[in-house]
Amino acid sequence: MSIVSELAVILLNGLQQGAIYVLLAVGLSIILGTLKFVNFAHGALYLVGTYAGLFIALDVTLSSGKLQEWGYGEFGLGWGFLAALILVPLFVFAVGLLMERFLARSFYDRPDTDQILVTFGLAIVVQELFRVLFGSNSLPFTQPEYILSVIPVSGPMQLPIVGSFPRWRLWVIAITAVLVGIVYLLVEHTDFGLVVRAGTRDAEMVRLLGIKISRPYLVVFGIGAALAGVAGVVGGPLNVVNPTVGMNILVPAFLTVVIGGVGTITGAVVGGLIIGLTQATLIGLPSVTIASFTLNFSPWSQVGLYAIAAIILLVRPQGIFGNEEVAP
Amino acid sequence: MSSDPDAPSDATSTPDASRSGETLLETRGLVKEFGGLVATDDVSIDVKRGERVSIIGPNGAGKSTLINLITRRLEPTRGDILFKGESIVQMEPHQVVQRGISKSFQTASIFPDLTVMENAQIAALAAEHGEFGFNFLTHRDKLTDVHELAEDTLEAVGLLDRAHNDAEDLPYGDKRRLEIGIALAAEPDLLLMDEPTAGMSPEETQATVDLIEEVKEEMGLTFVLVEHDMEIVFSISDRIVVLNRGGVIAEGTPEEIRGDPAVQEAYLGGVEL
Repeated sequence: MSIVSELAVILLNGLQQGAIYVLLAVGLSIILGTLKFVNFAHGALYLVGTYAGLFIALDVTLSSGKLQEWGYGEFGLGWGFLAALILVPLFVFAVGLLMERFLARSFYDRPDTDQILVTFGLAIVVQELFRVLFGSNSLPFTQPEYILSVIPVSGPMQLPIVGSFPRWRLWVIAITAVLVGIVYLLVEHTDFGLVVRAGTRDAEMVRLLGIKISRPYLVVFGIGAALAGVAGVVGGPLNVVNPTVGMNILVPAFLTVVIGGVGTITGAVVGGLIIGLTQATLIGLPSVTIASFTLNFSPWSQVGLYAIAAIILLVRPQGIFGNEEVAP
Repeated sequence: MSSDPDAPSDATSTPDASRSGETLLETRGLVKEFGGLVATDDVSIDVKRGERVSIIGPNGAGKSTLINLITRRLEPTRGDILFKGESIVQMEPHQVVQRGISKSFQTASIFPDLTVMENAQIAALAAEHGEFGFNFLTHRDKLTDVHELAEDTLEAVGLLDRAHNDAEDLPYGDKRRLEIGIALAAEPDLLLMDEPTAGMSPEETQATVDLIEEVKEEMGLTFVLVEHDMEIVFSISDRIVVLNRGGVIAEGTPEEIRGDPAVQEAYLGGVEL
């Protein structure tokens, strides 16, 4: 492989990894920006999305956990991936509405620390619940081969310059682009979006103008949750599926929001791409041998995220696209 | 009193006709205590449809408290507020707006990162779509009623040619005009204005006074104005209510107030006791 094609592969891997963070960060960021709600349970929504996607798309055989003990080891609907891609966002949207109504809403006026404590607690409860029910071992989430039996989505794909590249990763990038585009249009060009943007700035004044803002808030929360669910479905086949995936993805998702700036979709997209590219670059770079000392970059990929976040925040504390007056 | 009780204040009605209209706003024995401090002390005033009433008084007289009680940002300790004959003291702030009370704020309250047009649209949305139902998928510019109302409002306050600027880029005077526009776009029956000319240059002040006159003529609006600038108060008010230490100490036409000894005492003799 030439250097150019290697770089192109790193770039595409970065876009794909970044796409997952973008899906999570868009929701996290609009919830944080609009509702001023710090949602540490956002990763739990990703977890729910992954498992729901797995069980809708495939037949799964559980090898541990209470369900298996109780005789429900053969689990899953096996309806295929497209069904999962459509049903999971709806399901997680509904989960988000319940979460807003019964948990988040009573914490909007409380300090950030209270919000963090309650959502982090919820995230742990969900994680342990999944561990008890489905076991703590990783479940195989095989990539779908076809969508609608005709569109191939797995296997390698020959691209110019890049050479061979996993087809599914390209789909993840495409699905993310479409969904983020839809959310962008919703926020920028509908009256719902107008109320949300005005509410981000001054919720009290929107209320005084005579608009009951709690309903748009509910929808914002649901949309953010649905995006996290989609991230779980499309990201599932790329990573292991076990009860800790939610917690593991939470930190890069928050870093994405902080880098991009709270409350901006553009920021979430750019932040996600920066994080994804940083990670992919450090993983993809070949090791360098100087004298007898070999430097391997991939173990540094996690550290690299914090380093890049620290550098960006030193220069722009409110994030790249952040508005310092809006930041909570 | 008027013989046409429900006259919906014909926009071109003469000032005399509107002056004797129905009672739009009424406060009855309104009291607000903050701990031991009585900020509003047994205030009973009434505002008729089409009237321009100014509330004046020295600093700390309770003017802003009174306005905040009417807009339901503060809970009264005792007393009642009637709007169009209906008690509003149990209502949420947004419900009061829906009933037709709008407020132009003391501090610059516009949405700075939205465009001028979007600022007007959000107020128009509230007016046209009540408390905002689930019509959130509608493309904003296609809601013709909202769009028209927003456009009309901007035209009324002379900002239509700046519709697509970001609100934060407007000069100060235009920001205040936009604020008045936001309040107008909600199509209120009663507009509360808390120091609409505060911080303005003399030219901007004059322009705002002209705007208020204009809007009053065109829309037949009822105003309640809180203002420090006596020149403005005396030039545009039909009636003046003077507050001191939370209570009403005088009420009357500008001529009556000008010569009232209690008012002079409140303004000039603040150091006695």
